[in-house]
Amino acid sequence: MLKPEKMVKISVVGPKEQLEYASETLYKVNLLHIEDPKEAEYFRIGEPLEKASLISRSLVQLRSYISYLKIDPSRIVPKRKYRSKEIEDKLSKKLEEYQEQIGRKIEENRSIDEKIRGLEDELRIIEPLKVLGIPSRLLKGYKNLRCFVGLVKENPVEELSKITDQFDAVIKEYQKELLVAIFVKAEYGDEFFRTLQGFGYRELPVPDIDDYDVRINEIEREKEELLNRKKQLETEIEEIKVKEAELLLAIEEYLSSELDKSELPLRALVSKYAFVIVGYVPAKQLDEFRSEVERNGKIVVEVIEEEEEDVPPTKLDNPAIVRDYELLTTTYATPKYKELDPSAIMAVFFTIFFGMMLGDMGYGLLITILALYLKTVFRTEGWQKLLNIAIYCGLSSILFGFIYGEFFGPFIIPGIEEPSKIHFLGDALSALYTFNHHHPLFDRVEEFGVKALLFIVLLIGMFKMLWGFALGFYNVYVEHGMKEAIYEKGCWFIGVLGLVMLIFGFSYNLGIFTSPPEEGFGHLLPDNLYMLGSYTVEEGKEVPLPIPGLVDGWQAGVNIFYVLALPLLIVWFVIFLKAEIPKMGIFGIIMAVELLTWFGQIISYARLLAIGLSSVYIAFVINYLSVKIGTPPGMALLPVAIILLLIGHAGNLLLGILDPGLQSLRLHYVEFFTKFFEGGGKEYSPFGRVKKFLED
Amino acid sequence: MVDALISDEAFIKGCAAVGAGLAVGLAGIGAGAGESGIGAAAVGAIAEDRGFLGLGLLFTVIPETIVIFGLVISFILMFAYG
Repeated sequence: MLKPEKMVKISVVGPKEQLEYASETLYKVNLLHIEDPKEAEYFRIGEPLEKASLISRSLVQLRSYISYLKIDPSRIVPKRKYRSKEIEDKLSKKLEEYQEQIGRKIEENRSIDEKIRGLEDELRIIEPLKVLGIPSRLLKGYKNLRCFVGLVKENPVEELSKITDQFDAVIKEYQKELLVAIFVKAEYGDEFFRTLQGFGYRELPVPDIDDYDVRINEIEREKEELLNRKKQLETEIEEIKVKEAELLLAIEEYLSSELDKSELPLRALVSKYAFVIVGYVPAKQLDEFRSEVERNGKIVVEVIEEEEEDVPPTKLDNPAIVRDYELLTTTYATPKYKELDPSAIMAVFFTIFFGMMLGDMGYGLLITILALYLKTVFRTEGWQKLLNIAIYCGLSSILFGFIYGEFFGPFIIPGIEEPSKIHFLGDALSALYTFNHHHPLFDRVEEFGVKALLFIVLLIGMFKMLWGFALGFYNVYVEHGMKEAIYEKGCWFIGVLGLVMLIFGFSYNLGIFTSPPEEGFGHLLPDNLYMLGSYTVEEGKEVPLPIPGLVDGWQAGVNIFYVLALPLLIVWFVIFLKAEIPKMGIFGIIMAVELLTWFGQIISYARLLAIGLSSVYIAFVINYLSVKIGTPPGMALLPVAIILLLIGHAGNLLLGILDPGLQSLRLHYVEFFTKFFEGGGKEYSPFGRVKKFLED
Repeated sequence: MVDALISDEAFIKGCAAVGAGLAVGLAGIGAGAGESGIGAAAVGAIAEDRGFLGLGLLFTVIPETIVIFGLVISFILMFAYG
């Protein structure tokens, strides 16, 4: 569970003419992770089978249809599966049919688009001419005159009349610009043109049209017809999409797998007479693999001894529930083959952390129900995994909500006696038996609760920090040996342990372990079961800072934890110097400051308390406000109160999903994984394919 | 001056409360400044590739540790003097 599955390196060897058979078999068993081959003296990388080019051509065409029809395979749950044989029989007929039905339609659609664009261009020219109001035959075809028809930014007449006054100009306003038709003697033509250019002149080509209105109507009519046809085509295409989507995808799947098979030689080494394929198979399934592949007696499977530089692929090996959490691990990185796979640890602690932070029965229930519903909507694998995680987190929130005694916010707040003033269901909640006498089991809104929880989460932090270094020690030990492991991780393990002892000693002097909880805290367990007391200092003993030496006599503040911390820190420092000085020189000592980073990371676990408290208080404020304005004497505002309640809790729920989720993830990625998890492994992807639309 | 208006104890309590508020508030501003750059970059990356959403969100919350430190300090202040 904590380690990726064991792999065996093997080679599949056979005569060259068996390559096609081998590719069929290997594809069917779907177990062999093929290594990219390196060419050697007699062995060259093979060439794809003959059928490959034909298949890839059909595939490209089919995929273009699929993308044109915007079919998303991840959103389709197949109603029935097709047999490969069935597809094989239908293939050429269906491809022709698609070419006929979809291909033609796509082409026609494109040509319609083009025609419409042409018509629109024409319209853009005719419309200003129509505004000008001069028939086109009068705008061109002169021998001694030059005629400028076009758009200018400002009135050019004044400037033009400086050249000559023998010209005629018609000027109309058109869409913030000026539309001009200027007639001038041909000899002034060039000069006029230059001047007009200064006014931003853009010429309009004059078409051969007698009546602009008639032509415009014609164009409009044509355009309408084309648009109708286009709409018809689109409905037809939509019909095909609905009817054929699954078959299209099934054929796509079939062709892709055929292509994969026929391209296997590219991943094999081929000599004149033989072929070799090298790869990895899960050790558990080696026998099964061997018997399948060697069935026809001409192909041999051979186990190869692994060499130092070999990098086997990683296949995570986890029980069903943990498999959902692999998603979160691989988002960070895929573990290396020899590394520990933290998914199982993640599964336990991510869920607990989420519950600890959100800790509300109402929200937990909503998350669970929501996730169960969404599971029926989003059917893809990734979503299903994510929603499964959401369900576990919802359940964990319900559990912690029971412990904290919260249902859409707390119903007991120190200082306010009546539950009905705090919570819209306050009376009902406190009237329930369990809530009445034994609840909350642990009250995190009370002052003592906050202190105790703060200490508990820091304990969790210390524990996980040490655990992380221990796992790191193992990882380095497996990869580089004992000495490296001690220098790199063991040293810090000891250092952090010393740090933890210091924190414990400090806490002991504060009285955290010894004094009992305040009266009335918790209602279920007898008082002496609470190990964690309050932060009060015993009477008569002044502890300004609980550090040895500051209290009467040097030994007064010394306790067992401080005594343990000292040798640990010394051992840490010695190992640390031995590891760093050879690498960094004398300035390596500065690196010891890193111990403070780990202290910071332990404190960082305080978010387990902080995020939860913020959500509790938001819920409390929402409840308090809505109860206040929704009950007498402010009864008239009841609808406002209800809206406030709904919107407020919806918003808080959203925050309550996002923040605990992210923070819990971050506590693992940043504070935990960095101690031992490097990642960068190759994912195990066997030759073959998970079938979605096909069956054997 | 101060003695005339309020008692010593109340003054200390008030200062502690202000300090606790500053600890969280200033830390919040710091974290916000840190997150702004990361957030902008993350949104850019997500625009390129939707698959970056999870990682982008995660990077964005990393500076939040600073606020947690501030919060711890404010807790300690409130426990000690509140």
